Amino acid sequence: MIAVLAILRESWLYLRSEMLFKVVMGLNVLVIVAYASISFDDTGISLFFGLTHVDSEYVRGGTQFARTLYLGIYSAVIVNFWLAWAASILALISTSSIFPSFLSEGSVELMLSRPTRRTTIFMTKYAGGLIFVMLQVGVFTLGAFLAAGWRVGEWDATIFLAIPLITLFYSYLFCINVFVGVITRSTLVALLATLLFWFGTFGIRTADDLVNHYVIVTESIEARTATRVAQLQKEHDDAVAAGDEKEAKNVAYWLTSPKEEHEQAQTTLGQLRPWAAMLSTLRVIMPETARTLGLLHRSLERDMDMTFQDLRSGRAFEDPEEAAGQDEFDAYWGSGQNQTDTDDERRRKRQRAFNQAEREAAETMIERENAIPAWRIIGKSLLFEALVLGLAIWIFRRRDF
Amino acid sequence: MPAAIQINDVHKTFRRGVKALRGVSMQVDPGQVFCLLGPNGAGKSTLVKILMTVIHASKISGTVLGKPIGHKPTLKRVGYLPERHRFPKYMTAEQALHFYGGLVCMRRKHRLLRIQQMLDLVGMSSWRKHKVGTFSKGMQQRVGLAQALLHDPELLLLDEPTDGVDPVGRRAIRDLILHLRSEGRTILINSHILAELESICDQLAVVVKGRVSLEGTVEDLTRGERRWIVQYRNVDLEWEDVAAESGPAGVRITLPGEDAGLAQPIIDRIRAAGGTITKVSQERESLEDLFMRALELAEDRDGATPGAAQGRDA
Repeated sequence: MIAVLAILRESWLYLRSEMLFKVVMGLNVLVIVAYASISFDDTGISLFFGLTHVDSEYVRGGTQFARTLYLGIYSAVIVNFWLAWAASILALISTSSIFPSFLSEGSVELMLSRPTRRTTIFMTKYAGGLIFVMLQVGVFTLGAFLAAGWRVGEWDATIFLAIPLITLFYSYLFCINVFVGVITRSTLVALLATLLFWFGTFGIRTADDLVNHYVIVTESIEARTATRVAQLQKEHDDAVAAGDEKEAKNVAYWLTSPKEEHEQAQTTLGQLRPWAAMLSTLRVIMPETARTLGLLHRSLERDMDMTFQDLRSGRAFEDPEEAAGQDEFDAYWGSGQNQTDTDDERRRKRQRAFNQAEREAAETMIERENAIPAWRIIGKSLLFEALVLGLAIWIFRRRDF
Repeated sequence: MPAAIQINDVHKTFRRGVKALRGVSMQVDPGQVFCLLGPNGAGKSTLVKILMTVIHASKISGTVLGKPIGHKPTLKRVGYLPERHRFPKYMTAEQALHFYGGLVCMRRKHRLLRIQQMLDLVGMSSWRKHKVGTFSKGMQQRVGLAQALLHDPELLLLDEPTDGVDPVGRRAIRDLILHLRSEGRTILINSHILAELESICDQLAVVVKGRVSLEGTVEDLTRGERRWIVQYRNVDLEWEDVAAESGPAGVRITLPGEDAGLAQPIIDRIRAAGGTITKVSQERESLEDLFMRALELAEDRDGATPGAAQGRDA
């Protein structure tokens, strides 16, 4: 235990000596002050401690809108962009040298020639690197907690979930950094490899989301057009059976478009599904960086009537009954279809139907994301981290220095 | 009393087939200063690192302080100063010693006491609050010695302890080693600066190309190599059957053997001729001579140039 504490203290001294650590801490304070400068009054939103004011009919002091917006800015903007991107890149730059520096000639001998086991040294050094992020996020989160309490009366301890979640998120990247650092003993290579891995996971996740989104959109169109085709086919068959040639010809004309749409949707699905399967498989083995951060967002909005997404999309300001009454699918492919529509009117209806399919797909995606249990997101990512670290430890234990 | 270090047939082949050690066996007795000599790349540092578990041997059997090599808890009783060691430059001398003391599980109270004692011992007390990164090589070496001694080890392994140290510092380190020996500690020194070792070495081994070429006490190894030296000037004499060399200080005659009677006829002849005798002394083979002899033995044995790594040997 004394040895572990000694290594942790050494990590702390290292971080304290790093200029970037101080810079990031300073920037954290600035960001949190900027966050705390947002307030709400009877007429709208005040920014930079009253320097600027934005009038708003809805978002006012004491409203649910203000509460959702304020916490949403924290979880969806500050955490996702500042802590998860900018601050994490700065943290990676600072901590990338921990292992290469420790493994450098003349330094590593002093550590390995002690009674402490190599695995203990490795894991304690690793934990030391994560302390960097924990301290950063800890200070930041405390500031956000106080700001939310002060500005919207929301003393929500869930805000502190950011500490373990962002540390977890960072650890998924840091394990790659350490793995490459142990193999190459080069800070630069370790940093570049980590950034490459990070952008790789980002790319795979974005592509997977995008492909899945279009799979849902196309499936929806395929299902709707199939129903419409079946309906028109029956009308056509009935007309033929009744010997009404004119009606049969007329229905056959109207059948052409949904049939084409249906065939096109099937072709598109045939093309998208192999990609969706491949990307999903790739994603299975990758750590869930975005989903881990999303858990914070999910937890903060758990008991809210509206979400930050509702505010961003403008849905929060719509009349729910009016919104529910619109069915663009029905207007284009369903009973609302009017055979007297002009081509322009049909094009507009088609576009609105596709827009609705997109909106519904986005909602389905959010529902699917929210349905994934937290243990699965974290467990799978930790398994990945454990495998990478296990391999790094195996190499470190066997290596001669 | 069991040997402080007992190793048999140590082999180390690095990746890519580089053979650093090819069957090294030796024994270091307790309370002695054991010197490991050898040219650069002979495998000395590799051997020390194996003893300290920094490098894994390909094949090894033996003990350190009575425990099998690689037994981690035993390292609490061993002090080690690596060659070209580097302390974290962001630490002060005191913080660095706290850190390394912590790694051998020394309690804080004990550490505080020992840090003060060790910094006093190596003459670095006034620098305790200064960052190690600002120290000269010699000062870092002193702090390195302090960390090696901090936990009061029974066995001390010093890899090039005087590397980068000025002559005054070297003398101080030599005196420190003698002091440590007088306390009953066993010291293994790995160095290629032979002059430094001559006066402190009890036992030695010369490693050449991964094998021990010569091993024993200095006394034993140089017993057969004693000689008498007679030096004179102011007279011109012809010598037959003795080795005479002229130099700026006069003529130097070397007479192999231990018997003082060997020098008497030489002295008588110089005096009779009116010469001035400037030196009469008995000398033994120097470590440098011994070292060179070991290299020649290795050359005869391996049929290759001893010294630094060649081909696939380190």
